[in-house]
Amino acid sequence: MSTLIIGLSISMLLFLLAAGLTLIFGMLGVINFAHGALYMLGAYLAFQAHATFGSFWPALIVSPLCLAAAGLAIERLTLRPLYPRTHEFQLLATFGLILVIEEVVRVVWGLDYRHLTPPPGLTGSVALFGSDIARYRLFVIGFGAAVIAALFFGIERTKLGLVLRAASVNPTMAATLGIDVNLVRSLVFALGAGLAGIGGTIAGPLLPIQLSMGFTIILDCFIVVVIGGLGNIKGAVFGALLIGMTRAFGQLYAPEWIDIATYVVLLAVLLVRPQGLFAAKERLA
Amino acid sequence: MIARETLAALTLGAVALSVRLLWPDDGTLYFAMLVMIWSIFALGYDISFGLTGLLSFGHAAFFGMGAYAAAWTMQRGGAGFGTGLAAAMLMGAVLALAFAALATRVSGLFFALMTLMLGELVSLIMTTRLRGLSGGVDGLPGVPRPDWFGVDFFENRHFYWVVLALFLLTLLACGLLRRSPLGQALLAVRQNPVRAGQLGLDVALHRLIAVTVSGAFSGLAGALLAGLMMYAGPQTLGWRISGDVVIMAVLGGSGTLIGPVLGVVLVEALREWLSLYTQHTYGLIGLIIILCTLYLPRGIAGLWKARA
Repeated sequence: MSTLIIGLSISMLLFLLAAGLTLIFGMLGVINFAHGALYMLGAYLAFQAHATFGSFWPALIVSPLCLAAAGLAIERLTLRPLYPRTHEFQLLATFGLILVIEEVVRVVWGLDYRHLTPPPGLTGSVALFGSDIARYRLFVIGFGAAVIAALFFGIERTKLGLVLRAASVNPTMAATLGIDVNLVRSLVFALGAGLAGIGGTIAGPLLPIQLSMGFTIILDCFIVVVIGGLGNIKGAVFGALLIGMTRAFGQLYAPEWIDIATYVVLLAVLLVRPQGLFAAKERLA
Repeated sequence: MIARETLAALTLGAVALSVRLLWPDDGTLYFAMLVMIWSIFALGYDISFGLTGLLSFGHAAFFGMGAYAAAWTMQRGGAGFGTGLAAAMLMGAVLALAFAALATRVSGLFFALMTLMLGELVSLIMTTRLRGLSGGVDGLPGVPRPDWFGVDFFENRHFYWVVLALFLLTLLACGLLRRSPLGQALLAVRQNPVRAGQLGLDVALHRLIAVTVSGAFSGLAGALLAGLMMYAGPQTLGWRISGDVVIMAVLGGSGTLIGPVLGVVLVEALREWLSLYTQHTYGLIGLIIILCTLYLPRGIAGLWKARA
């Protein structure tokens, strides 16, 4: 049971990042290599906010907002001029961003590991179905589920979501109909960055905050979005669950092999369905 | 066009030679060898990317495994340096063929992701499962240099000739390849795979060939680096190395003969020069990469071409 909970909490974390990655790809056609770096920046900002305000909750608001603002700036300054060019330039620009963000974090926070404590009330564990389960993990699952629900509601049911879908399916047509596609792109990148900020913040109490945390998780997120079909948010939910559970149960039964196992899952999926498991006839997010 | 390319290549060769003759101090020679070795890597990389249009993010695997292959054949097999280099090229080529066979099933950006993850898989297997072979985090120290004709190649001023010769051979090979019918076919595959297929070219086969040849040169470069540093380690398998070679190729001017070499010179010189003044080398290079992708879409070589 506790393994299931751990798996679910990892899945939620992966989903928060993969959703941003896949939204950005669906809308901008860019694979954001720097997504892991944004997540890492989010974790450090959360640490800073926690240290400044003395509580976890302001961090959960401040860090995503800062990330969203950074996302706006990044999209305007580095990605917008590159849309007409081939994909490798966008990859390179986001690759450059990784180096810049890591440098900024190194200068501001140094190389030491940082740690966030869970907010009071979420520390310790509860007995559930006969096993001890960390309260904070339950919070992560609940919070992640709420974000997923909000995201789906926003995209499927609101006017803004409609605009977003239209601009993603056919940008030219959307622009003709009076939608400011550039603005939509900026907002989507900001949203993705904000989600990375949320991810970084809630990861803070679970994992040590360190420079390499971004790259470790971005590889898993790539696996998630590739399995689910890039640009497909439902696929991202499925992929996140698959990889999260593989990690949690792998840790239990064959800890030596989990990293390799996730890659094997991925290769198997790619060889059978190069477009991802959920890509067929699904529209882009 | 062709004449200018030849001229540029000859200039590069002359510069590399004059470094040895005019500034034979150890630091300069070491730096020049590093540049030439990375140039072999970047030239090899650009066969895959610049020539054939396959954006790989997994070339560190060929580079690093080349270093290991050379170390194994020389340290455990007791073979000579030449055999070590051959083994490295073979290792690079075979691994690249395997990568290509898997990754060419997907196209475009997925190819980049796929090669990135295959590269990470190789790195992971080497560092966690095959510690006995890879030496784990410590790597394998004591990779030998050649002992031909009784010359002491452990002296950098002697080893320089080996690196220089292989660098010039690689430059020549890449120049010839670009002009050969095969090179033209690869270019056609890059520019328009559909049309190339309809003209009767086997697109899939040509992609395999390009990545394999590219892998062989990457392996060679890895082996030379192991010889230069007298060390083979898992760091050379990491994704940063893959990223570095992409950056060098693109900044220098991917798809041209001397572009990748210019990129290597730029990045290595920046790294060397910036580290004199600041500790924030990586961040500044990141900034420069972003600026170059924005304002220098065709790299340094493109700048020169546009003016002419």
